[in-house]
Amino acid sequence: MLEVVDLVKRYGPVTALDGFTLSVASGEIVGLVGHNGAGKTTFVEIVSNLLRQDSGHVTIDGKPPADVRGQVGVAPQHIALYPTVTVREHLVLFGRLGGLRRAALDTAIDDLAVLLRLTDLMDRRTGRLSGGQQRRIQAATALIHRPRLMLLDEPTAGADLETRQAILDVVKQRAGEGAAVVYTTHYLPEITELQATIAVARDGRVIARGTYDELIEGLPGEVRLTLDNEEEISVSTTEPTATLIDLLNRAERPVSAVDLRNPSLDDLYHSLAARDAS
Amino acid sequence: MFYRIAAIARHNWIVRLRDPGQIISYIAMPMVLMLVLKPLYVRALDAGSTQVATGLMVMFSVFAIGLAGNSILSERTWRTWDRLRVSRAPAIELLVGKTFPIFLVMVLQQTILVIYGVIAIGLPLPAEPWWVALAILIWAFALLAIGAALATLVRSHGELSVISDVGALTLSSLGGALVPLSIMPEWAQIAGHASPGYWALTMLQAAVAGNESAMLLPASVLLAIGLVAGAFAARRLARGWSRGKLM
Repeated sequence: MLEVVDLVKRYGPVTALDGFTLSVASGEIVGLVGHNGAGKTTFVEIVSNLLRQDSGHVTIDGKPPADVRGQVGVAPQHIALYPTVTVREHLVLFGRLGGLRRAALDTAIDDLAVLLRLTDLMDRRTGRLSGGQQRRIQAATALIHRPRLMLLDEPTAGADLETRQAILDVVKQRAGEGAAVVYTTHYLPEITELQATIAVARDGRVIARGTYDELIEGLPGEVRLTLDNEEEISVSTTEPTATLIDLLNRAERPVSAVDLRNPSLDDLYHSLAARDAS
Repeated sequence: MFYRIAAIARHNWIVRLRDPGQIISYIAMPMVLMLVLKPLYVRALDAGSTQVATGLMVMFSVFAIGLAGNSILSERTWRTWDRLRVSRAPAIELLVGKTFPIFLVMVLQQTILVIYGVIAIGLPLPAEPWWVALAILIWAFALLAIGAALATLVRSHGELSVISDVGALTLSSLGGALVPLSIMPEWAQIAGHASPGYWALTMLQAAVAGNESAMLLPASVLLAIGLVAGAFAARRLARGWSRGKLM
């Protein structure tokens, strides 16, 4: 669905993208993670046809982004809504711009209002709503026309738990219906919740790509024992079960608690970043 | 195409209606000033009523540049312009849909002030109202284009406010909106020709007098200004305000 090959984008002396390559299939959710400045937002802007790359290729369904306007739904990182306009009026605008008319538009609005828990807010002006509510509206305006490619740039940043869950549920539903999704986030547990494949960006490039299991293979987890005198023993290991048995055999005092922690996405990111830097 | 333009125009009309303070003040203020200044102008000039009505109408319609500028600049403040650019609507549809409601507001403002001028100030009833209507449309187009171009150049609402307010006063005064150009100093008479306000005033006074041949030159100048400013604004707005662009 989305093919991005060797994108380069510079802002004066700053190189935002430096050979960024990524492909996303229909129905796939790709969690794009990376520090601020890794190039995630520039990538989203180029695929959205808002920016032009200096070099490299982008195709959506085999066509350049300019030829598939309207098949992409974008929720930008920052809230971008009209504060004096109601939620319903926003959805009408973006629905109509997406090609929806009359009954189809009404149905799409009603469906999204339920899914994103906006039903009670429909006739309120967005400027008077909370940050979390605005996040849900922003997501709704990006999804109202059922885009085939969804670019969601930190769609839950600063959002409450209810908002986060509502957005994640809709994203999973739309991916289940065949939409390709690029989901950038700093909240790594969201990637697990979405069952997304992962792309790790750093310094304008994708430095790792794969499923969670593929990427964490070989990374150390942690075994932690707490003794009855509250002393803690913590060991980083790639073989947690064997290490746990060994520690239990060698413990000189009774053990009051055992904690086994598999490698997390945070561990993965730090490991990749360290490897890439070296 | 028309469906999308209508959707954007309707949306922007709603946005305009929810924040009407600026346009109300640009209609009410010249009405009050026309009434207060009329005796002075009638005593000082042969065509005092025409001067005070058309002059203040031109001056306050130039202030409405800020209206166009603010409307476009708000899209940047709210970060909404790029969201529209991602949609199916190409840049030209966005621009037409965005600016049409502002154009209507400007035409409405000028029409109200002309009617008020006729009823309350003694502006001669135009022999051919259609020429006045045409003059209003041309002037509103030029103002809209200048305001849109300005909005792509300034960095904040404050900057826009300073430029449009000071610019409106300077250009309309130099153009003869407050004092007829014929009794201004020689340097001002020469400089006045550089002001769109001068051409607007000349065109409107010719239209009120039913002298359509005298409208031709000022109308052409204003259309040219509008086209150049409009093309500049369209080019800048089509590129949006993404990082690395415009600013």
